[in-house]
Amino acid sequence: MRMHKKIIRTSIVLVLVVVMSNVVMAAFPDKQGFVNDFANVLDQKSKAEMQLLGEKLWSEQGIGLAVATISTTAPMDPKEYTTALFNEWGVGGPDDSGLLMLLAVAEGAIEVEPGYGLEGVLPDGLVGAVIDQEGIPHFKKKDYGAGLSAMALAYANILAGEEFEIVEEREGSSGWFVSFVIFVLILMLMRRGRRYPPGGSGGFGGGGGSGRTVIVPRMPRGGGFGGGSFGGGSRPSGGFGGGRSGGGGAGRRF
Amino acid sequence: MKKGTIVLIVILVVVIALGSGVVGRYNQLVALEETVDGRWAQVENQLQRRADLIPNLVNTVKGYASHEEQVFADVADARSRLLGATTPEAQMEANRGLDSALGRLLAISEAYPQLKADTSFIRLQDELAGTENRIATERMRFNESVQTWNTTIRQFPTNLLAGIMGRQPKPFFEASSSAQEVPQVGF
Repeated sequence: MRMHKKIIRTSIVLVLVVVMSNVVMAAFPDKQGFVNDFANVLDQKSKAEMQLLGEKLWSEQGIGLAVATISTTAPMDPKEYTTALFNEWGVGGPDDSGLLMLLAVAEGAIEVEPGYGLEGVLPDGLVGAVIDQEGIPHFKKKDYGAGLSAMALAYANILAGEEFEIVEEREGSSGWFVSFVIFVLILMLMRRGRRYPPGGSGGFGGGGGSGRTVIVPRMPRGGGFGGGSFGGGSRPSGGFGGGRSGGGGAGRRF
Repeated sequence: MKKGTIVLIVILVVVIALGSGVVGRYNQLVALEETVDGRWAQVENQLQRRADLIPNLVNTVKGYASHEEQVFADVADARSRLLGATTPEAQMEANRGLDSALGRLLAISEAYPQLKADTSFIRLQDELAGTENRIATERMRFNESVQTWNTTIRQFPTNLLAGIMGRQPKPFFEASSSAQEVPQVGF
Protein backbone atom coordinates (compact mmCIF):
# COMPACT_ATOMS: atom_id res chain seq x y z
CA MET A 1 0.00 0.00 0.00
CA ARG A 2 2.78 2.35 0.96
CA MET A 3 4.63 1.35 -2.20
CA HIS A 4 1.55 2.23 -4.20
CA LYS A 5 1.31 5.68 -2.68
CA LYS A 6 4.97 6.27 -3.15
CA ILE A 7 4.77 5.41 -6.83
CA ILE A 8 1.84 7.76 -7.29
CA ARG A 9 3.60 10.53 -5.39
CA THR A 10 6.82 10.06 -7.32
CA SER A 11 5.05 10.13 -10.65
CA ILE A 12 3.19 13.31 -9.68
CA VAL A 13 6.48 14.93 -8.72
CA LEU A 14 8.08 13.75 -11.95
CA VAL A 15 5.23 15.11 -14.05
CA LEU A 16 5.41 18.42 -12.16
CA VAL A 17 9.16 18.63 -12.63
CA VAL A 18 8.85 17.97 -16.35
CA VAL A 19 6.01 20.47 -16.74
CA MET A 20 7.76 23.14 -14.70
CA SER A 21 11.11 22.74 -16.38
CA ASN A 22 9.39 23.04 -19.73
CA VAL A 23 7.79 26.28 -18.65
CA VAL A 24 11.09 27.65 -17.44
CA MET A 25 12.97 26.43 -20.48
CA ALA A 26 10.49 27.96 -22.86
CA ALA A 27 10.92 31.32 -21.16
CA PHE A 28 14.59 31.67 -22.04
CA PRO A 29 15.79 32.02 -25.59
CA ASP A 30 19.23 30.74 -26.53
CA LYS A 31 22.03 33.26 -26.45
CA GLN A 32 23.26 34.43 -29.82
CA GLY A 33 26.32 36.38 -28.79
CA PHE A 34 27.00 39.71 -27.13
CA VAL A 35 23.94 41.30 -28.75
CA ASN A 36 20.68 39.38 -28.67
CA ASP A 37 18.01 41.39 -30.41
CA PHE A 38 15.09 39.03 -29.91
CA ALA A 39 12.55 41.84 -30.12
CA ASN A 40 14.07 43.10 -33.36
CA VAL A 41 14.21 46.73 -32.29
CA LEU A 42 17.90 47.56 -32.72
CA ASP A 43 19.50 49.29 -35.68
CA GLN A 44 22.57 47.85 -37.38
CA LYS A 45 24.90 50.63 -36.27
CA SER A 46 24.14 50.24 -32.55
CA LYS A 47 24.35 46.49 -32.80
CA ALA A 48 27.78 46.72 -34.41
CA GLU A 49 28.97 49.22 -31.79
CA MET A 50 27.87 46.98 -28.94
CA GLN A 51 29.29 43.89 -30.60
CA LEU A 52 32.71 45.55 -30.89
CA LEU A 53 32.52 46.81 -27.33
CA GLY A 54 31.60 43.34 -26.12
CA GLU A 55 34.51 41.75 -27.95
CA LYS A 56 36.91 44.36 -26.60
CA LEU A 57 35.75 43.99 -22.99
CA TRP A 58 35.94 40.24 -23.23
CA SER A 59 39.35 40.01 -24.81
CA GLU A 60 40.98 42.78 -22.77
CA GLN A 61 39.40 42.42 -19.36
CA GLY A 62 37.54 39.14 -19.41
CA ILE A 63 34.30 40.96 -18.77
CA GLY A 64 31.24 39.57 -20.47
CA LEU A 65 28.77 42.19 -21.69
CA ALA A 66 25.47 40.84 -22.90
CA VAL A 67 22.67 42.93 -24.37
CA ALA A 68 19.23 41.48 -24.91
CA THR A 69 15.98 42.91 -26.15
CA ILE A 70 12.80 40.94 -25.70
CA SER A 71 9.21 41.73 -26.59
CA THR A 72 7.91 40.74 -23.17
CA THR A 73 9.14 39.05 -20.01
CA ALA A 74 5.66 37.86 -19.03
CA PRO A 75 4.75 36.01 -16.92
CA MET A 76 7.86 37.08 -15.02
CA ASP A 77 8.68 40.50 -13.69
CA PRO A 78 11.44 42.13 -15.80
CA LYS A 79 13.89 42.15 -12.88
CA GLU A 80 13.20 38.54 -11.99
CA TYR A 81 13.60 37.60 -15.63
CA THR A 82 16.91 39.44 -15.89
CA THR A 83 18.38 37.64 -12.88
CA ALA A 84 17.18 34.27 -14.14
CA LEU A 85 18.45 34.92 -17.67
CA PHE A 86 21.82 36.08 -16.36
CA ASN A 87 22.33 32.85 -14.47
CA GLU A 88 20.86 30.73 -17.25
CA TRP A 89 23.29 32.17 -19.78
CA GLY A 90 26.20 32.44 -17.39
CA VAL A 91 27.16 35.95 -18.47
CA GLY A 92 30.81 36.73 -17.80
CA GLY A 93 33.78 34.65 -16.84
CA PRO A 94 34.22 32.18 -14.00
CA ASP A 95 34.85 35.08 -11.63
CA ASP A 96 31.30 36.31 -12.28
CA SER A 97 32.48 39.28 -14.29
CA GLY A 98 29.38 39.76 -16.37
CA LEU A 99 26.96 42.57 -17.13
CA LEU A 100 23.53 41.97 -18.62
CA MET A 101 21.42 44.75 -20.07
CA LEU A 102 17.87 43.69 -20.81
CA LEU A 103 15.22 45.77 -22.54
CA ALA A 104 11.65 44.53 -22.42
CA VAL A 105 9.59 46.36 -25.01
CA ALA A 106 6.05 45.59 -23.82
CA GLU A 107 6.87 46.45 -20.21
CA GLY A 108 8.87 49.51 -21.24
CA ALA A 109 11.55 48.26 -18.90
CA ILE A 110 15.30 48.46 -18.85
CA GLU A 111 17.14 46.29 -16.36
CA VAL A 112 20.89 46.25 -15.89
CA GLU A 113 22.43 43.58 -13.73
CA PRO A 114 26.09 43.10 -12.85
CA GLY A 115 27.45 39.72 -11.85
CA TYR A 116 28.80 39.19 -8.34
CA GLY A 117 32.30 40.04 -9.53
CA LEU A 118 31.37 43.50 -10.83
CA GLU A 119 29.16 44.65 -7.98
CA GLY A 120 32.06 46.51 -6.40
CA VAL A 121 32.90 48.56 -9.50
CA LEU A 122 29.29 49.03 -10.52
CA PRO A 123 27.24 49.83 -7.44
CA ASP A 124 23.50 49.98 -8.04
CA GLY A 125 23.35 53.76 -7.68
CA LEU A 126 25.88 54.19 -10.45
CA VAL A 127 24.14 51.62 -12.64
CA GLY A 128 20.90 53.57 -12.20
CA ALA A 129 22.56 56.92 -12.91
CA VAL A 130 23.90 55.63 -16.22
CA ILE A 131 20.42 54.44 -17.17
CA ASP A 132 18.98 57.86 -16.29
CA GLN A 133 21.55 59.85 -18.19
CA GLU A 134 22.50 57.67 -21.13
CA GLY A 135 19.54 55.41 -21.72
CA ILE A 136 16.24 57.04 -20.76
CA PRO A 137 16.45 60.07 -23.09
CA HIS A 138 16.82 57.71 -26.06
CA PHE A 139 14.30 55.16 -24.83
CA LYS A 140 11.65 57.86 -24.50
CA LYS A 141 12.10 58.49 -28.22
CA LYS A 142 11.90 54.73 -28.81
CA ASP A 143 15.48 54.83 -30.05
CA TYR A 144 16.41 51.65 -28.21
CA GLY A 145 19.62 50.97 -30.11
CA ALA A 146 21.19 54.35 -29.41
CA GLY A 147 20.20 54.19 -25.74
CA LEU A 148 21.61 50.73 -25.16
CA SER A 149 24.75 51.55 -27.09
CA ALA A 150 25.35 54.75 -25.10
CA MET A 151 24.80 52.87 -21.86
CA ALA A 152 27.12 50.06 -22.90
CA LEU A 153 29.83 52.60 -23.69
CA ALA A 154 29.35 54.33 -20.32
CA TYR A 155 29.61 51.03 -18.44
CA ALA A 156 32.67 50.03 -20.44
CA ASN A 157 34.32 53.35 -19.54
CA ILE A 158 33.53 52.86 -15.87
CA LEU A 159 34.92 49.34 -16.03
CA ALA A 160 38.04 50.74 -17.65
CA GLY A 161 38.51 52.92 -14.58
CA GLU A 162 37.00 56.20 -15.71
CA GLU A 163 34.84 58.31 -13.49
CA PHE A 164 31.21 58.62 -14.55
CA GLU A 165 29.97 62.13 -14.06
CA ILE A 166 26.54 62.26 -12.51
CA VAL A 167 24.61 65.27 -13.69
CA GLU A 168 22.67 67.05 -10.98
CA GLU A 169 19.80 67.89 -13.30
CA ARG A 170 17.88 64.93 -14.62
CA GLU A 171 16.59 64.13 -18.08
CA GLY A 172 19.68 65.63 -19.70
CA SER A 173 17.68 68.72 -20.71
CA SER A 174 20.73 70.91 -20.18
CA GLY A 175 22.97 68.71 -22.28
CA TRP A 176 24.55 71.64 -24.10
CA PHE A 177 25.43 73.26 -20.79
CA VAL A 178 27.15 70.13 -19.56
CA SER A 179 29.09 69.81 -22.79
CA PHE A 180 30.07 73.45 -22.48
CA VAL A 181 31.29 72.97 -18.91
CA ILE A 182 33.22 69.88 -19.92
CA PHE A 183 34.68 71.80 -22.87
CA VAL A 184 35.80 74.64 -20.61
CA LEU A 185 37.22 72.16 -18.13
CA ILE A 186 39.14 70.39 -20.86
CA LEU A 187 40.53 73.73 -22.00
CA MET A 188 41.59 74.55 -18.46
CA LEU A 189 43.15 71.15 -17.99
CA MET A 190 45.02 71.43 -21.25
CA ARG A 191 46.39 74.77 -20.22
CA ARG A 192 47.56 73.40 -16.94
CA GLY A 193 48.94 70.40 -18.67
CA ARG A 194 47.83 68.15 -15.88
CA ARG A 195 45.58 65.16 -15.99
CA TYR A 196 42.35 65.12 -14.07
CA PRO A 197 39.20 63.13 -14.47
CA PRO A 198 36.75 65.45 -16.21
CA GLY A 199 34.30 67.11 -13.83
CA GLY A 200 34.35 66.31 -10.17
CA SER A 201 32.16 63.85 -8.47
CA GLY A 202 29.54 66.57 -8.48
CA GLY A 203 29.01 67.14 -4.80
CA PHE A 204 27.98 63.75 -3.50
CA GLY A 205 28.41 62.38 -0.07
CA GLY A 206 28.03 58.72 0.60
CA GLY A 207 31.08 57.04 -0.76
CA GLY A 208 31.18 57.92 -4.42
CA GLY A 209 34.40 59.08 -5.90
CA SER A 210 37.14 58.18 -3.53
CA GLY A 211 39.06 54.98 -3.48
CA ARG A 212 37.24 53.10 -6.18
CA THR A 213 38.87 49.80 -6.85
CA VAL A 214 38.77 48.64 -10.39
CA ILE A 215 38.92 44.94 -10.72
CA VAL A 216 40.46 43.65 -13.83
CA PRO A 217 39.59 39.99 -14.00
CA ARG A 218 42.04 37.56 -15.44
CA MET A 219 42.11 37.05 -19.16
CA PRO A 220 40.12 33.95 -19.90
CA ARG A 221 42.02 31.16 -21.49
CA GLY A 222 41.18 29.85 -24.88
CA GLY A 223 40.65 33.00 -26.89
CA GLY A 224 37.28 34.39 -25.93
CA PHE A 225 35.72 31.37 -24.33
CA GLY A 226 35.70 31.23 -20.56
CA GLY A 227 35.41 28.07 -18.58
CA GLY A 228 35.86 25.96 -21.65
CA SER A 229 32.18 25.29 -21.96
CA PHE A 230 32.11 26.10 -25.63
CA GLY A 231 34.71 24.97 -28.07
CA GLY A 232 34.92 25.91 -31.70
CA GLY A 233 31.21 25.97 -32.36
CA SER A 234 29.13 27.45 -35.10
CA ARG A 235 29.11 31.07 -34.05
CA PRO A 236 31.72 32.80 -31.94
CA SER A 237 29.83 33.72 -28.80
CA GLY A 238 32.37 34.79 -26.22
CA GLY A 239 31.31 36.52 -23.07
CA PHE A 240 29.61 33.56 -21.45
CA GLY A 241 31.70 31.56 -19.08
CA GLY A 242 29.34 30.58 -16.31
CA GLY A 243 29.15 33.93 -14.53
CA ARG A 244 26.54 34.27 -11.82
CA SER A 245 24.59 37.17 -10.40
CA GLY A 246 22.52 37.72 -7.34
CA GLY A 247 19.87 40.17 -8.47
CA GLY A 248 21.71 43.46 -8.03
CA GLY A 249 21.81 46.34 -10.46
CA ALA A 250 19.10 48.82 -11.27
CA GLY A 251 16.15 49.22 -13.56
CA ARG A 252 13.72 51.81 -14.87
CA ARG A 253 10.37 51.98 -16.59
CA PHE A 254 10.14 54.40 -19.43
CA MET B 1 29.84 -25.25 4.97
CA LYS B 2 27.86 -25.22 8.12
CA LYS B 3 24.46 -23.67 8.17
CA GLY B 4 25.57 -21.24 10.86
CA THR B 5 28.36 -19.84 8.71
CA ILE B 6 26.01 -19.17 5.81
CA VAL B 7 23.59 -17.34 8.07
CA LEU B 8 26.47 -15.31 9.45
CA ILE B 9 27.68 -14.35 5.97
CA VAL B 10 24.17 -13.39 4.91
CA ILE B 11 23.75 -11.24 8.01
CA LEU B 12 27.13 -9.64 7.40
CA VAL B 13 26.27 -8.82 3.78
CA VAL B 14 22.94 -7.33 4.80
CA VAL B 15 24.58 -5.27 7.55
CA ILE B 16 27.27 -3.96 5.20
CA ALA B 17 24.71 -3.14 2.51
CA LEU B 18 22.48 -1.35 5.01
CA GLY B 19 25.44 0.32 6.65
CA SER B 20 26.80 1.80 3.44
CA GLY B 21 23.30 2.91 2.57
CA VAL B 22 22.94 4.60 5.93
CA VAL B 23 26.31 6.31 5.59
CA GLY B 24 25.32 7.61 2.17
CA ARG B 25 22.01 8.95 3.47
CA TYR B 26 23.68 10.45 6.49
CA ASN B 27 26.20 12.28 4.34
CA GLN B 28 23.42 13.43 2.07
CA LEU B 29 21.56 14.90 5.04
CA VAL B 30 24.67 16.63 6.32
CA ALA B 31 25.36 18.13 2.89
CA LEU B 32 21.77 19.32 2.55
CA GLU B 33 21.79 20.93 5.96
CA GLU B 34 25.03 22.69 5.14
CA THR B 35 23.46 24.00 1.93
CA VAL B 36 20.51 25.40 3.84
CA ASP B 37 22.81 27.10 6.35
CA GLY B 38 25.03 28.46 3.60
CA ARG B 39 22.09 29.90 1.72
CA TRP B 40 20.80 31.49 4.88
CA ALA B 41 24.18 33.12 5.40
CA GLN B 42 23.77 34.66 1.94
CA VAL B 43 20.35 35.97 2.92
CA GLU B 44 21.88 37.40 6.10
CA ASN B 45 24.56 39.18 4.07
CA GLN B 46 21.93 40.96 2.05
CA LEU B 47 19.81 41.80 5.09
CA GLN B 48 22.93 43.29 6.63
CA ARG B 49 23.64 45.20 3.45
CA ARG B 50 20.19 46.74 3.55
CA ALA B 51 20.55 47.61 7.21
CA ASP B 52 23.82 49.38 6.35
CA LEU B 53 22.11 51.50 3.71
CA ILE B 54 19.41 52.77 6.02
CA PRO B 55 21.30 55.46 8.01
CA ASN B 56 22.33 57.19 4.77
CA LEU B 57 18.83 56.98 3.40
CA VAL B 58 17.28 58.33 6.59
CA ASN B 59 19.73 61.23 6.67
CA THR B 60 18.94 62.16 3.10
CA VAL B 61 15.20 62.10 3.74
CA LYS B 62 15.73 64.09 6.96
CA GLY B 63 17.31 66.85 4.94
CA TYR B 64 13.96 67.49 3.25
CA ALA B 65 11.41 66.19 5.72
CA SER B 66 12.89 66.77 9.15
CA HIS B 67 9.57 66.79 11.01
CA GLU B 68 8.60 63.20 10.17
CA GLU B 69 10.25 62.06 13.38
CA GLN B 70 7.89 59.19 14.09
CA VAL B 71 8.83 57.44 10.85
CA PHE B 72 12.57 57.93 11.42
CA ALA B 73 12.22 56.52 14.92
CA ASP B 74 10.28 53.52 13.61
CA VAL B 75 12.91 52.79 10.99
CA ALA B 76 15.77 53.08 13.49
CA ASP B 77 13.87 50.85 15.86
CA ALA B 78 13.14 48.18 13.26
CA ARG B 79 16.75 48.31 12.07
CA SER B 80 18.17 47.73 15.52
CA ARG B 81 15.72 44.88 16.06
CA LEU B 82 16.98 43.25 12.87
CA LEU B 83 20.61 43.72 13.83
CA GLY B 84 19.89 42.33 17.29
CA ALA B 85 18.10 39.22 16.06
CA THR B 86 20.14 36.05 16.28
CA THR B 87 18.08 33.09 15.07
CA PRO B 88 16.85 32.88 11.48
CA GLU B 89 13.25 32.94 12.69
CA ALA B 90 13.84 36.13 14.68
CA GLN B 91 15.63 37.69 11.73
CA MET B 92 12.76 36.87 9.40
CA GLU B 93 10.33 38.42 11.84
CA ALA B 94 12.46 41.55 12.35
CA ASN B 95 12.90 41.87 8.63
CA ARG B 96 9.16 42.02 8.14
CA GLY B 97 9.06 44.89 10.61
CA LEU B 98 11.80 46.71 8.73
CA ASP B 99 9.97 46.16 5.44
CA SER B 100 6.92 48.02 6.65
CA ALA B 101 8.91 50.82 8.33
CA LEU B 102 10.93 51.35 5.15
CA GLY B 103 7.76 51.34 3.11
CA ARG B 104 6.48 54.24 5.18
CA LEU B 105 9.78 56.09 4.87
CA LEU B 106 9.68 55.82 1.08
CA ALA B 107 6.03 56.82 1.02
CA ILE B 108 7.06 60.12 2.63
CA SER B 109 9.28 60.90 -0.30
CA GLU B 110 6.23 61.05 -2.53
CA ALA B 111 5.17 64.22 -0.75
CA TYR B 112 8.50 65.99 -1.33
CA PRO B 113 9.22 66.61 -5.01
CA GLN B 114 12.62 68.10 -4.23
CA LEU B 115 13.61 64.99 -2.34
CA LYS B 116 12.46 62.80 -5.21
CA ALA B 117 14.66 64.80 -7.58
CA ASP B 118 17.71 64.70 -5.31
CA THR B 119 20.40 62.70 -7.11
CA SER B 120 21.88 61.18 -4.00
CA PHE B 121 18.40 60.11 -2.93
CA ILE B 122 17.89 58.47 -6.32
CA ARG B 123 21.20 56.65 -5.99
CA LEU B 124 20.29 55.44 -2.52
CA GLN B 125 16.92 54.28 -3.78
CA ASP B 126 18.71 52.36 -6.51
CA GLU B 127 20.97 50.76 -3.94
CA LEU B 128 17.96 49.91 -1.81
CA ALA B 129 16.00 48.48 -4.72
CA GLY B 130 19.05 46.49 -5.83
CA THR B 131 19.52 45.14 -2.33
CA GLU B 132 15.88 44.15 -2.12
CA ASN B 133 16.20 42.33 -5.40
CA ARG B 134 19.27 40.59 -4.03
CA ILE B 135 17.33 39.63 -0.92
CA ALA B 136 14.58 38.27 -3.15
CA THR B 137 17.09 36.22 -5.15
CA GLU B 138 18.81 34.83 -2.07
CA ARG B 139 15.44 34.19 -0.45
CA MET B 140 14.41 32.14 -3.46
CA ARG B 141 17.65 30.14 -3.36
CA PHE B 142 17.29 29.63 0.38
CA ASN B 143 13.70 28.45 0.05
CA GLU B 144 14.69 26.01 -2.68
CA SER B 145 17.28 24.46 -0.39
CA VAL B 146 14.78 24.34 2.46
CA GLN B 147 12.31 22.60 0.21
CA THR B 148 14.88 19.98 -0.74
CA TRP B 149 15.73 19.51 2.93
CA ASN B 150 12.12 19.22 4.05
CA THR B 151 11.28 16.79 1.27
CA THR B 152 14.30 14.62 1.94
CA ILE B 153 13.83 14.26 5.66
CA ARG B 154 10.19 13.28 5.18
CA GLN B 155 10.87 10.66 2.56
CA PHE B 156 11.34 7.02 3.34
CA PRO B 157 13.84 5.82 4.43
CA THR B 158 15.68 9.06 5.20
CA ASN B 159 12.88 10.03 7.58
CA LEU B 160 13.98 7.23 9.94
CA LEU B 161 17.54 8.50 9.96
CA ALA B 162 16.44 12.12 10.33
CA GLY B 163 14.29 11.00 13.26
CA ILE B 164 17.26 9.36 14.94
CA MET B 165 19.40 12.45 14.29
CA GLY B 166 16.61 14.63 15.64
CA ARG B 167 16.37 16.77 12.51
CA GLN B 168 13.25 18.84 11.96
CA PRO B 169 11.73 20.51 8.89
CA LYS B 170 13.03 24.07 8.50
CA PRO B 171 10.81 27.11 8.01
CA PHE B 172 10.63 28.93 4.69
CA PHE B 173 11.53 32.60 4.48
CA GLU B 174 8.24 34.11 3.39
CA ALA B 175 8.29 37.52 1.77
CA SER B 176 6.07 40.04 3.44
CA SER B 177 3.64 41.62 1.05
CA SER B 178 5.26 45.05 1.22
CA ALA B 179 8.66 43.63 0.40
CA GLN B 180 7.37 42.18 -2.83
CA GLU B 181 6.75 45.67 -4.07
CA VAL B 182 10.30 46.69 -4.73
CA PRO B 183 10.46 50.49 -4.70
CA GLN B 184 10.55 51.76 -8.23
CA VAL B 185 12.40 54.84 -9.23
CA GLY B 186 9.69 56.35 -11.37
CA PHE B 187 9.54 59.12 -13.90
